[in-house]
Amino acid sequence: MMNFTTITRWEFKNTLKSRKFLLIFFLQISVLFLMIVVFNSFAANLESEKGLSITPSLTGFATLDVEDQGGLFSKRLNPEVLTIQNSTYNQGMARLANGNIGGFFAVPSNSVALIQNNDRVATILYLDYRDPKRSVIRQEVNNTNQILSSTLTSAYLDSLKSQNNTNQPGITEKTSGESLPLQIVRKVMLAVLLFLPLFLFGNLVIDSIVGEKERKTGEILMAMPLSSTDIILGKSVAVVLTMALQVAMWMIILLGAGFQLKNAAIVYMTVVLTALPIVGLTTIIAAYAKNYKEAGIGLSFAYIFIVGLLIVPLLAYLSRQSAAANISPMTLTMRLFSGETIAPVDILLSFAFILILSLLSYGISIKLFSRDDVVFGPRPGIIRLALELLGIKKRRVLK
Amino acid sequence: MKLWTLSKKEAQDILGNKIYLLVVLVQVFIILGAFGLALATSVISDPALLDQYGITSNIKVGVTQDLQGSQLAKDLEAQKLKLVYYNNTQQANQFLGRQLAAVITISPQGEVQVQLDNANVFYQVASTKVRTAVNNFQTRRTLQSSGLASEKIKAIQEPVTLTEVPVAENQKVKIAMDSAYFVEIMYGFIMPFILLLPFFLASNIVTDSIVGERERKTFEVLLMTPLSSIMVVLGKIIPILTFSLIQSVAWIFLLDLLQVPIYNLFLMIIILFSMGLGFIGVGILISILVDSTKEANSAITLVLVFATFILFVPLFIKSGMFQGIINFIPTVLMVKIASSPVIRPEVMIYILPTIVISIAVFLFTVRSFKHERAIRL
Repeated sequence: MMNFTTITRWEFKNTLKSRKFLLIFFLQISVLFLMIVVFNSFAANLESEKGLSITPSLTGFATLDVEDQGGLFSKRLNPEVLTIQNSTYNQGMARLANGNIGGFFAVPSNSVALIQNNDRVATILYLDYRDPKRSVIRQEVNNTNQILSSTLTSAYLDSLKSQNNTNQPGITEKTSGESLPLQIVRKVMLAVLLFLPLFLFGNLVIDSIVGEKERKTGEILMAMPLSSTDIILGKSVAVVLTMALQVAMWMIILLGAGFQLKNAAIVYMTVVLTALPIVGLTTIIAAYAKNYKEAGIGLSFAYIFIVGLLIVPLLAYLSRQSAAANISPMTLTMRLFSGETIAPVDILLSFAFILILSLLSYGISIKLFSRDDVVFGPRPGIIRLALELLGIKKRRVLK
Repeated sequence: MKLWTLSKKEAQDILGNKIYLLVVLVQVFIILGAFGLALATSVISDPALLDQYGITSNIKVGVTQDLQGSQLAKDLEAQKLKLVYYNNTQQANQFLGRQLAAVITISPQGEVQVQLDNANVFYQVASTKVRTAVNNFQTRRTLQSSGLASEKIKAIQEPVTLTEVPVAENQKVKIAMDSAYFVEIMYGFIMPFILLLPFFLASNIVTDSIVGERERKTFEVLLMTPLSSIMVVLGKIIPILTFSLIQSVAWIFLLDLLQVPIYNLFLMIIILFSMGLGFIGVGILISILVDSTKEANSAITLVLVFATFILFVPLFIKSGMFQGIINFIPTVLMVKIASSPVIRPEVMIYILPTIVISIAVFLFTVRSFKHERAIRL
C-alpha cells in the first residue's frame, strides 16, 4: 500500500543522506552562533545607556567659522561633524558670502565677563541658506549652547546651595517598562531567530518538485499509484520534518546560550505548525514554476510577503498591544516565550490563521499539480489559471 | 565598428534579461522606501519636528488634580505635552504604559516625582521634554526661594541665547526636511548607497559574461572574431557600464525631485564612472578566472560583501588616526561632494586614487583575458 508516507520517507532519507544538505545544515548553525554574539553585544550596548546611534559619523561634514575670544563656546563645538575655524567677523562674513563655509557663529568678546556677572550672553549664528547642511550646523550650535547653559545654571545653583544651606525638596525619577529598542532587540530578534529555519529550506521544496520537472522524472512520479495529494503532502511533510529538526536544534542552542524561553514546548509547536502554510505556499510556486530560476524569483517575492505578514503584526503588538496582532503566529510565539498570560481567543486566532492558510495553500498546489498542462506544459498564464481555479472560466481542453 | 557590433549584442542581451529590468524597477522602491524611512525616523527622534507636525500633543502625561493651574503644569504645557488630570497618583499609575508616557506628582514634602514609561514609542522625546519641564520648574523654585528678582532668574535659567540670521535667504535651497538627522542619514548613507546600487547589480550581471560563453561553448567563436582582447573586454564593459551609469544619474535626478539636492554633478559622474569601471572590471575578472557560473556567483557575493565593508563602514566609524586614509574612500568623497554647493579644490586630489585603481583593474582584466586567450588558442 503506497500513500504519502512513502514519499515522505524517500524524501526525508534523501535529504539527510545528502552531503550538501548536511553542510548547509551546520553552516546555518554556525551562522546562528554568530548572530547570538551580535545580538548580545547589541543588547549590551543598548542597556549601557550609551544607546545605539545609527547616525553616520562624518568628520568635517559641515564647516563653521567661529569668533569666540573667550573660547568657552568654540571648545565645546563637536569637531566630529563640524570643521571649525577661528576667524573675525569680517573674515567670517566674507567667507560665508563666498559659500566657503556653511555658517558663522559670533560670540560677544566679553562673554567670560558676562558669565561671571550672571548676565546673559547673546550669541548670533549666521547661516547660509544655500547650503542643505544648514540644519546640521544649527543643531550642533544649539547643542553647544544648551550644554553650556545647563552647566552654568547648575554651577550657580550649586554655589547657592553652599551659601544658603537650605533643604530644598528635589526631584525623584523612576522608569518602568523595557525601552522599545531593547524590546525589539531582545524579543523581536529572538522571534526572528526562531522562525528563521522556516525560510532556509525553501530550496528543498523547490528541489523536490521543480527538480522532478527538470530531471524529467515527473512523468514517472505521476505514473505511480499515488494521487497528486499524496505527492504534494508527502514531499511537504518531509520538508516540515527537516525544519522541525532544525528548529529543535536552534532552540537547544538558544537555551544553552542563556536566552529566556518560557513555555518552550508550546513555542516549539507553534513554530513548527507555522512551517505548514509556509511550505504550502512554496509548493504552489514549485508546482507552477517551469525551472529553478523562475522558482527562485517567485520564492524571493513570496518570502518577502510572508516575512511581512509575520513581522508587521508583531511590531504593531509591541507599540499598541492590539488584539488583532495575534493573527501572526510570531506575535503569539513572542508572547509565549516572554511568559505573558494569553487569552485562549488570541491563541485560537493564531491557529485559525495557520489552518486557513494551510488549507488554502495545499488546496491550490494540489489542484495545480494534478493538471498536466501546469506540470508539463503548455502552461496557462497566471491570470487565466486563477480564473479557472475560481470557476469563472472553463478550462481549455486540447482535443 | 566591430566593437559597436559586440556592444550592441551585449546591450540587447542585457535589455532582454527580464530579471535585470525587474531589479531596476525594484531599486525605485528601495529608494522611495529608504527616503520614507529617513523622514519617519527624523520626525520621531526630533522634538522640534514632533511639535511642528502636532504629534507632541499625542504624548500624554498624567498629573494629579491639585496641580491644575500650577507652575509645574504650566512648565509641562510649555513643552507642548498634553496633560491628563487624575484624582490621585494610584489612578494615574494605572494608565502609565498604556495611554500615558509619564506620571508626574508633587509629594506633600514638595518633592517632584517623575515616573517614565520606557516602552512608549516616543519615549526619547517624552523623557527629554518631561525632564526639561521639571528641571525648569525646580530651578525657578530654588532661585525664587533665594529671593532673586524675576529678571535675574530668567538670565540664570537661560544664560546663553541664540539668534539665527539667515544669509542668502532668497537663494534658499529647498530640502525635503530641514532636520539635522535627515540631512546626515540621507547624504551620509542613503545617497551613496542608492547611487552605487546599479554598480553592485552590474558586477553581478557581468560575472557570467565570460564563463557563460565558455559554458555555452561560444567562447571559442568569440575568440575567433577579429577583435583584439582590449576590444572584447571593452565590448563587454561599455553596455553595462552605460546602463548602470544612466541608472545612477537617473537616481540623482530622482533624489533632486525628492528635494535632496545633489551638487557637483560632473564630479559625481566622474566618481561613479570610475567606481562602475572598477566594479564591472572585477566582475569580468572573476568571470575569466572561475570554472563555472555557480562558482562565479559565490565569488562575486564574497567580493561585494567585502566592498560593502570597505565602502560603507568608514561612513559610520569615528576615525581619528585613520582619517588620512578615510578621506580617499570614494563613498566618503561622494558625501562631501554631493552635499556641498562649493567644494574645496583639494578634493580633486582625493579622487585620484579611485580613478587610478579603477583603470588598474580594467588593465589587469584585459591582461588576464589575453592570457586566457593564449591558453585557449
